[in-house]
Amino acid sequence: MSFGSNLRMFANKASLCCNVNKVTLELFSRCSTVAFLQYDKDPGPSFSNPDVQKLLKSMTRVQLEKVYKKRSVSDNTVEYKFMTSEQLEKQFRKAAERAEKLIQMPPIVKVKEDSQKVISRDPALTNFSNTKFVIADITYGVNSSDRKILVRQTDGTLEYAPLSIRKRINQIYFPHPGRKIRLPRMFEPEHLNRCLANFQYEFILDRACVQFDPYEKEYHEITTKVYNHINESKRFDDLRSTRHFGPMAFYFAWHQIIDDLLYDMIKQDYLKNGAELVALYYQLNGIDYDKSIHEKLETLVQPQSTIQSVLKPKASDDMHEEIKNAIGKSAEDFTADDISFEFIETFVKTKALKKVQLELALQALRETNDEKKKLYHGLKKAHGIS
Amino acid sequence: MAGRLLCNTNLLAKALQNLRIGSHITQNAVNSSRLLLENQLPCISATRHTSFFNKLPATDLWKGVTSVSNAGKKRGRGKGVGKKMSKDLNRGQVIGVGKSNILWPGLNAPIIRGRELVHQQKLPEDSERQQKLIKLRDSMGNFRVLKINPIDRGWSGSKMPGRSIGAPDPVGDEVFEGFDTRVLELKTVFIMKGNLGRRRRFSCLSVTGNGKGLAGFALVKSPEVRGALRKSKNRAGQKLMHIELCDGHTIFHDFYTQFGKTKIFVSKKPKGHGLVCHRAIMTICKVVGIKDLHAKIEGSTNLQHIVKAFFLGLLQQKTHKQLAEEKSLHVVEFRKENDNFPTIVASPTQCRKQDEIRSDEVMDFTQYVLGNRIVLKRKKFPPFYTKHRSYEIYLKKQERIRNNDKVRLDMMVNYGEVRSFLTDKYPECSETKNKPAEAQE
Repeated sequence: MSFGSNLRMFANKASLCCNVNKVTLELFSRCSTVAFLQYDKDPGPSFSNPDVQKLLKSMTRVQLEKVYKKRSVSDNTVEYKFMTSEQLEKQFRKAAERAEKLIQMPPIVKVKEDSQKVISRDPALTNFSNTKFVIADITYGVNSSDRKILVRQTDGTLEYAPLSIRKRINQIYFPHPGRKIRLPRMFEPEHLNRCLANFQYEFILDRACVQFDPYEKEYHEITTKVYNHINESKRFDDLRSTRHFGPMAFYFAWHQIIDDLLYDMIKQDYLKNGAELVALYYQLNGIDYDKSIHEKLETLVQPQSTIQSVLKPKASDDMHEEIKNAIGKSAEDFTADDISFEFIETFVKTKALKKVQLELALQALRETNDEKKKLYHGLKKAHGIS
Repeated sequence: MAGRLLCNTNLLAKALQNLRIGSHITQNAVNSSRLLLENQLPCISATRHTSFFNKLPATDLWKGVTSVSNAGKKRGRGKGVGKKMSKDLNRGQVIGVGKSNILWPGLNAPIIRGRELVHQQKLPEDSERQQKLIKLRDSMGNFRVLKINPIDRGWSGSKMPGRSIGAPDPVGDEVFEGFDTRVLELKTVFIMKGNLGRRRRFSCLSVTGNGKGLAGFALVKSPEVRGALRKSKNRAGQKLMHIELCDGHTIFHDFYTQFGKTKIFVSKKPKGHGLVCHRAIMTICKVVGIKDLHAKIEGSTNLQHIVKAFFLGLLQQKTHKQLAEEKSLHVVEFRKENDNFPTIVASPTQCRKQDEIRSDEVMDFTQYVLGNRIVLKRKKFPPFYTKHRSYEIYLKKQERIRNNDKVRLDMMVNYGEVRSFLTDKYPECSETKNKPAEAQE
């Protein structure tokens, strides 16, 4: 009893405890029968690499309207305020800052395995009781991951509690809002498949973030299942501008299945993102490439600040701006597109799995881009701007 | 014993006949323990044989219960008269003829038939007589409640207020499409005329609208109810006003409005809130096309004043653009459902700077649109029972079972039944209603 007065004995009634374990174990075993791509080595360091994070964030294409989309709330009152332009800008800045937090990506880390760590074996205590005893330190202010939770087995062994017990005890004494002690039935394969069939990707991923820790095996199983489903249904737009887009792109790049996502990016004319995805692919798979492309692209394409996108564009006298608004692209955009084209094309030729499809898409985009370019130059000439 | 009693009463009756005194001797008075021949004093009570019922003829009596005098009507008596509430059960019945078919010479038969004296006699029962009577009574007509489809019903019963009377009649080629008129008030009013005296008319207030912001109301008087309804409907159609709706479901902002002693505080509500207000305001809102609003009336609830005040308030609303121009500031919307993301709903042509705003200026949006008023929100006091000792006991008892419902739900989700860790050992103790049928056998 070395944990002081805050120590709690947690004597589970054997049958109930076993029942719960049986149920959850059954579910997990059913989950795990589904084949999923595992990470052969720890993806944590690569994921938290600042370069990779930058690429993932850029690919997410944050749109404040989508980050702050309509959600069901208990109180849906509307408030109005009078504001000066400065106050308004401050509000938008705050909202953009808040959005940054809201779309923080859930990390991808290695699956944590259970290991038995015995503290002492006391054969004298054998058959002292017919139930296990769980001993938890519930001192205030201790981190859930650092909390000491031990188990006294019926044969008298005192050991550190396995992960499943740790999670349950932590949830009992320090409940994580929204997390259930038992696995929500939504994550059972039959119900999960129904959710996937309805394309409720964001809902599943959000709930998985609440229910599981990123190092849990079930988290990896569920998220990869969702990512694979998205890859098949090609509904990448559902996750764009959410916190799950980055991890999804990371997963595809790690396992070298970026073709569908790249095809989608080319089709939607997100060429810069396409180039970034290819760069991510190279980086994660240890392939050398010309890293100067990032600098080139960055100097050409200003990262669109989220505030600017919200504030209404002022009627400017600048003809350049007007032409840009009419066509949707500026001269810098065209040169950036050319660089991206080249970069992606080399990838398609050497590494891509769906070469023909991607080449055709690139070709089509190039043609439309050329037309736009022509129009752009024509308009410039007509307005007398060189 | 009974025979002796009869004998007694007969004797007494004879003796007291001249005094017009009836005598009653109850059987209870005679006790078995008493001697049979003991003198028994009769209980005597005075009775009068004249009454309201035998002084007036049947027609007068009948009239008395089925109608109301003119003077009484003016005082509001006999509201149900004319509704055919009563039936004359005497009709079709003849004296001397009843359920058992008996021949009474001198009453329903001649005393002498030919040269023979007719004797009282029971004839075979007439089975059709009763049916004939019922048929006759049915033909007299029943009182029937006016049946109105619940959807078409107004505010109260079969009364007109709140009921729809259709779109105004077309004027030339102009058809009032999509319009609906609702009666707000229908009452009798009187005026004095030099030659005609007190003249009665019907006054009707109705409101018409197309549910998309176009609405009008009119008050009309006519000697006929139907005329009043028709006239007010058509006149309301001639007095249409355009009321702009915010997002197609509510008002632009909270407002305060007043007509006479009627004061109304109206507040804007989000989608799905519904109309929480006086029934007249609710009817107007439905006709105008407002779906979500809250209104509180203070002071007089005179219906005509409410209608006028509410329409004034609706017309005096300012759109967001107007407010922005007035204040020279942006009007920004914060919706909780969008996590309070600011949305500009209106911008002025020239926006003021922070230092141009006076320190004493009203910057609160609601306070500004209410005309610098602040709505008094009464403090909510805890309910009376929280002070009782029994409530404390109740709370203590609740403490034990506070999470039972959640546990029950959880068990139903995970096991399909309510069970405990002892259920495996003692299956007979589980809740039977949730068990499958074979388990009960």
